[in-house]
Amino acid sequence: MAVSARSHKAEKFVERLRKKLNRQMVGSLAGCVHCGMCTNSCHYVLANPDDPTYAPAYKADQIRKIFKRNIDWTGRIFPWWVHAEDIRTDEDLAALKDIVFGKCTNCRRCSLNCPMGVDFATLNRMARGLLVSVGVMPEGVAVVSKDQWEVGNQMGVLPQDYLETLEWLSDELETEFKDTAARIPIDKMDANIVYAINPREIKYDPRTITDAARIFYIAGENWTMPSEGWDMTNFGLFSGDDELGGAVAQRVYEKVIELRGEKLVLSECGHGYRSTRCEGPNWLGYGVPFVIESSVLTMLRYIKEGRIRVDKEKNRATVTFHDSCNNARSCGFYEEPRELLNLLVTDFREMYPNRAENFCCTGGGGAMSMSEYTPQRLKSAIIKADQLKATGAKTVVTSCHNCVDGLTDVIRHYKLGMKVTQLVNLTANALVIPERVVVPVEVQIPFVTMPLQGFKILVVDDEPDILTFLAAVLEDQGATVIQAADGEQALALTIQEKPDLVTLDLSMPGRNGGYVFEEIRNNPEIASTKVCIITGKPELRRLIYERPVTPPDGYLDKPINEESLLTNVRMILELKHPHGHA
Amino acid sequence: MSETLRFVSDDLQLMALGFMALVYILRIRWLLKFKASGDRQARSENRSASSFKGVVYSWANVAMPWSMESTRHMSFFYIQFVVFHVAVAANIGMSFVIPYAPGLMKPVIVVRLLQILFAAACAIGCYRMYRRLSNPAMRLISTPDDFFSLALLTLWLFASLFAAPNRPDLGEGPLMVYFIMTAFFLVYVPFSKISHYLYYPFTRFYFGRTMGHRGIYPIKRVPQTKNAAVKG
Repeated sequence: MAVSARSHKAEKFVERLRKKLNRQMVGSLAGCVHCGMCTNSCHYVLANPDDPTYAPAYKADQIRKIFKRNIDWTGRIFPWWVHAEDIRTDEDLAALKDIVFGKCTNCRRCSLNCPMGVDFATLNRMARGLLVSVGVMPEGVAVVSKDQWEVGNQMGVLPQDYLETLEWLSDELETEFKDTAARIPIDKMDANIVYAINPREIKYDPRTITDAARIFYIAGENWTMPSEGWDMTNFGLFSGDDELGGAVAQRVYEKVIELRGEKLVLSECGHGYRSTRCEGPNWLGYGVPFVIESSVLTMLRYIKEGRIRVDKEKNRATVTFHDSCNNARSCGFYEEPRELLNLLVTDFREMYPNRAENFCCTGGGGAMSMSEYTPQRLKSAIIKADQLKATGAKTVVTSCHNCVDGLTDVIRHYKLGMKVTQLVNLTANALVIPERVVVPVEVQIPFVTMPLQGFKILVVDDEPDILTFLAAVLEDQGATVIQAADGEQALALTIQEKPDLVTLDLSMPGRNGGYVFEEIRNNPEIASTKVCIITGKPELRRLIYERPVTPPDGYLDKPINEESLLTNVRMILELKHPHGHA
Repeated sequence: MSETLRFVSDDLQLMALGFMALVYILRIRWLLKFKASGDRQARSENRSASSFKGVVYSWANVAMPWSMESTRHMSFFYIQFVVFHVAVAANIGMSFVIPYAPGLMKPVIVVRLLQILFAAACAIGCYRMYRRLSNPAMRLISTPDDFFSLALLTLWLFASLFAAPNRPDLGEGPLMVYFIMTAFFLVYVPFSKISHYLYYPFTRFYFGRTMGHRGIYPIKRVPQTKNAAVKG
């Protein structure tokens, strides 16, 4: 059946819908039985019982009807029978925008309550992304996305502002502890922790950075903050723009790799945690070669390991805990904050429902940036307000910056007289400051000869000078080095010699490094061989990570220096220190 | 038994079943044409998290009304769901038993139990139709297919009440109606919402895999204590 003419934007929308669909989405689009079980799980519905257009199934149907009309059999043949309907005009797109951006915070509560496993939130996010791709979005979404694309963070914080803020925070810290070592390290190489934050902290809430810095300092942590790629938030999650999501996540990952950080620790931000830890690898199509954890887990570990001591008597107010939707419902991160909270406060009262069943703060999904929908957002917030009030707590703790803003708005609007805070603030407040803080110092480890003794390393490069350099450096450290000048020779030697590590140049004539790498991974005999990619063209890295095989164990950019080569080789071979096996 | 009844209870059913199977195969092929996306993130920080556990939990979700707030709060609706679906499954089973193993339907108790089940399901069907028409949100989301599918199933369950005794000697009418409706049902199902059970394993599998990998499934719930009461 012929489809009516569409506007250019609508045409593009449908065209991109076809490309965007995956099996999960199609299942969710085709599987809804309109049973209505999801209806009462949505805070918009509960706050607007007389408006059925807030029902999650109805909202999802606004996307579903386009799918049915264009892609599903029944809808294409008998559209009226299944309410299939095309999207034709720019007005249709604008109407859809008001639903997917204005009537849903993508909190995923309805998805958890669907007997069929229909993931409404994923459908809603997909529709947002399709609208964004044709330029239809709330103004706030456009502005924030632009900042994140262009400036590198979603609040448009300029590099000098960021660095200057850290500088004066460092000065304050130094004064507080009367210790020149009590500063925020920037771009420190080989740190155990690279700490990434929400730009809101720089702009509106720098005390959270100071609090985190205090904790790291007292714990004696070897940490750093990056000068770039420091924004762990990601508006791509809210706008549905996977390209933006991937670019932002990649910016953070690449900085950690560049700094050779062991672990990326994320400050308390629900969507930042979800974007950077959970979705980033999906948007980019590859996993990351380092650990990513929430600062909540880091603080909890410090207490358990005795690296910091806390006194809960310093936090005597009655507190309750609000689970961020992204943390709890999309990342399963809800027990650790409670464990920490119980160590930090004297009177913790649970909020009901909680964990994965908690209600949204109502500011999620980018809602705080969409001022045109503020009245309906605040009206729906009555559910959250009732939930908060019922706890009888004076303070609500949350592990999400977005929720801090959302809850603050709810509390102000409904005059609840509560205070909102985060775990980092409570931890810093409860800290027992030792008389003498032990800070990490650069220890000169005595050089031990032959740290790579016993390791066989195959170096592959088509440039003889580089081959000679690599071989000389590695042999000096005791490694047995084999050399290959092209892809075919590299493959043959990998099979024959079974090296512990292959350093692989990407750009080689004939069989290039990418091909060799995939062959190695696909050959069960040598698939587990450790591979370090070496390239003069960092943009080619992506090609490697996009391959449908286990990613390489490390990579290095040319020109290579001796120190970075040895550090990377040691890391890959899991030598924890430079003078022996782990 | 007349030749016509034999035809509608046997050949016609096989034809309808064959047609349904064919359309289902095409449906599944169509679904599988779409690429399944994976979850590349490192496993949840919750050590017990596992995709496998998530999938099992997700599939078993249907039998665990306590696992979802929606079924916990709407227990009457859940009971209706169970009775209705068990009755439909029993009814499908009966369409095989009558022509191929009629002996199983001989004991009166079996017939009576089935009739009670069908009658209950039929009443539930009527109630659900009322709910669809009277609840504004339900009315808004309901399509002609939703109404027709529910009406079809309810009428079919009603017809099965009279077919269950399997007494063609007392008149072939009830069995004729039952088997013709069954054949129509089988042909219509792949094009309707009734085919949701075809998608169920897929949607639940993928949702459970992600939720399990990320440590959300199995859902951890802490029962409410006296210090807080929340409406909603």
